[in-house]
Amino acid sequence: MLNKTIIDHLRQKVGAGNVYSEREDLLVYGYDATPEIAGFPDVAVFPENREGLQAALEAARGEGLAVIPRGAATGLSGGSTPCRGGMVLGLTRMNRILEIDEENLTLRAEAGVITVDLFNAAAAKGLFYPPDPGSQNVSTLGGNVAENAGGLRGLKYGVTRNYVMALSGFLYDGAEFHAGNKCVKDVAGYSLRDLLVGSEGTLGIITEVTVRLINPPQDKRTLLAYFRDIRTAGEAVSRIIAARIIPATLEIMDKTTINCVEDYARIGLPREMGALLLIEVDGHPAVVAEEAEGVRKILAEVRADVIRQAANAAEAAQLAAARRTALSAVARVSPTTILEDATVPRSRLAETFAEIERLKEKYKLRVATFGHAGDGNLHPTAVTDERNHEEIARVHAFFSDLYEKVLSLGGTVSGEHGIGIAKKGYLLRQFGEGGIGVMRRIKHAFDPDGRLNPGKIFLDEAVSAGVKMPGGTNG
Amino acid sequence: MAEQSLAGNFHPQDAPGYESILQCMRCGFCLAVCPTYALTNRERSSPRGRAALARAIAEGKLEFTSAVRDEAFFCLDCKACSTACPSGVRVGTIMELCRSQAQVFHPPSLPAGMLRDFILKRMLPSPALLETSLLPVRLYQRLGLQWAIRRLGINRFLPGALAKMEEILPTLTPPLRLEIPELIPALGKKRGRVGFFLGCAMNLVFPEVSRQTARILSQQGFDVVTPREVKCCGAPHLAEGDRATARQLARINIDLFLPLDVDFIVTDCAGCGCALKEYGELLEERYDHERVGRFRAKIRDISEFLAEAGIRTEGLRPVPLSVTYHEPCHLVHGQGLSGPPREVIRSIPGVELREMKESNWCCGMAGSFALKELETSRRILERKLANVRDTGADALVTANPGCHLQLAWGLRELGMKQPVFHIVELLGKALP
Repeated sequence: MLNKTIIDHLRQKVGAGNVYSEREDLLVYGYDATPEIAGFPDVAVFPENREGLQAALEAARGEGLAVIPRGAATGLSGGSTPCRGGMVLGLTRMNRILEIDEENLTLRAEAGVITVDLFNAAAAKGLFYPPDPGSQNVSTLGGNVAENAGGLRGLKYGVTRNYVMALSGFLYDGAEFHAGNKCVKDVAGYSLRDLLVGSEGTLGIITEVTVRLINPPQDKRTLLAYFRDIRTAGEAVSRIIAARIIPATLEIMDKTTINCVEDYARIGLPREMGALLLIEVDGHPAVVAEEAEGVRKILAEVRADVIRQAANAAEAAQLAAARRTALSAVARVSPTTILEDATVPRSRLAETFAEIERLKEKYKLRVATFGHAGDGNLHPTAVTDERNHEEIARVHAFFSDLYEKVLSLGGTVSGEHGIGIAKKGYLLRQFGEGGIGVMRRIKHAFDPDGRLNPGKIFLDEAVSAGVKMPGGTNG
Repeated sequence: MAEQSLAGNFHPQDAPGYESILQCMRCGFCLAVCPTYALTNRERSSPRGRAALARAIAEGKLEFTSAVRDEAFFCLDCKACSTACPSGVRVGTIMELCRSQAQVFHPPSLPAGMLRDFILKRMLPSPALLETSLLPVRLYQRLGLQWAIRRLGINRFLPGALAKMEEILPTLTPPLRLEIPELIPALGKKRGRVGFFLGCAMNLVFPEVSRQTARILSQQGFDVVTPREVKCCGAPHLAEGDRATARQLARINIDLFLPLDVDFIVTDCAGCGCALKEYGELLEERYDHERVGRFRAKIRDISEFLAEAGIRTEGLRPVPLSVTYHEPCHLVHGQGLSGPPREVIRSIPGVELREMKESNWCCGMAGSFALKELETSRRILERKLANVRDTGADALVTANPGCHLQLAWGLRELGMKQPVFHIVELLGKALP
């Protein structure tokens, strides 16, 4: 904790109600949604405007404090946790939507705006902001940009990066940056914007974002299919993509997930089935009709065991219910839910599922897998209990083996959750010392003293004692 | 960390279960629905933050500090977070237990404690005493209420609370408990026999509403049995952290209703219904499991009961009104009842239901919160009333006495014309 003079100074500069230094406050600014990871900051500051933010940064520099930018702390890799203490810099009170430019189809907002509020503001003008991470009702735009968040619509519409046109903010040393603009074409210099998207708060503090908006789809059809063998489901996904049909949603649930959902919601799911695919095609009505028929044909060709097509919106909602309930159902099974983020080229889905099954057997674990099959982004989710150290060790061994396989298939250790603290070891495996070295030089150029969100992404910036790093350290 | 079977820094008596706290995976989905977080943007005033504080205490990393006590009481216990939580954490319940812990670690000062004990342990458990205490209010509505406020010692609150207390009570009519026949026979073809759980607030403040409830049940073909010895359901005790008295009341009510040989026990108070349905958790192993289970299985909110039984609509008169429906937290989040009240409203001929935005967002009453946290309560209420206004509906319908008082007060304050009806009042208008 900091001495009272600094706290008083911060209160005066940023506003008394925007600075927290009591133990009860600091305790709850130590975590995000990542299991087993928590830190404890020295102070938490929530500026309401850029002047306040600059003052907070200046104070941090004066004290040599680390600064940890924080949105809604819904991240799943520990990216916003103050693992080495320092100042948590919350952006949630800078949450205004500044402009909707209907001539250029852009929206400009402060970093703390909640994703769904942005979506609704665009929708009110008849426009569409597609990125829809699972936590969109709470997550912030700044957090989405920092983590390059994905979501269910990633397959067809892309992820946060594909919508960011411009960014503004500050480096740790106080320098202000403006990266990108409203121009569709822009090749001026290095794309700082693209470096900052997905930088997990380690390069700069993003305070303002301009995003691209598009036309909303006019129509939508929903199909659901069950498969006795999950490999057939994998084949169906590959065939749909190979047929050049890009559904807006192409989600998969495995047998364990189906049974968790049925245990919890009792909506009559067939427990004996090995997999469920939920498919939504959207766009122009004529195209939608054609694509829905194309999907149905492929499902029939690969001999899906059950195929259902929704006749109307109510039926579509019914079909989507199981997938919507998946996380709740799985999370209720046990105290600790470790939701991972393994991602492979979608042609390798079937192999990945086979490996998950093999490793579940090997490590005697309960792992429910669901996720975005269409973009190869799976969420194998271990249901466990963090008090059972022996089982947790098996969980980490499971994921370590799985990521080995994922990398051998040309996949990535994170599709949408980021590296943060939790996956530093895996990142090294994916990039090797050479790739990591380049990243480190980039980090040095932005933040030479390593004060901005330290302990993240790079393995050797070891976190302080007491913070556990699942799977990350021994990689 | 060893197996956490002990309560850590909690007092072992009525400590929140460690398992129930550990179940929180900190996903933050609750942040979007928490009224106190929406107002403060302060993590510790969010369900996720409150669960984390409780966890730190259970793990011995934090004492039960006064800040924790404050958060426990600042929580509205609206239970919206329970509905939003993917992993089934019930932070409202954890905070109820923390309120009970607060009595151990931060006991109220002597006069305040005596007052609290008097209200919770003497007055609320005794319907007669309650009724007597409000007699002067009834006789001399205005002057008498001031006297009552002094007698209840409410003047330890801010003067604003005093003013609100005076303004919020409608003109009182005699309580229903001693007037209502112990048995009202079913009309038409008999469909069953139900016990009517007459809640304190309904009896004292809204006797005409509960009269409608009984009339509707009878008209719908049910014998209605209303035992006069009914006790407070215990909800105020749970809210104030007096679980011991709540348990006594629970035992008495179970012993009162089980021998009545009724098919169901119906209440028209969402708060009572919620508390009655939680008797099992409250009593745990302190009472015969089988009896609690049988009692619990009979409890129905009035709209839950009517929707299940099927409403006999023949002979109903049209009620040409557009209405919007405010969902009481203890109905929608506490009992998971969102569809049945709407089903009842839609079954009334002539009524047009216009959905408001955020119909399941708290109105800011939350028991004594509306008097203790005047400003916060008012801001929560304003958000609600703006959504009411946007519907342009003729009337506002709800199903809980607390909400009813708060909403009617707010509408009067803002000069809005809509009357507030309990759902049974609306249905009552259609009855022949």
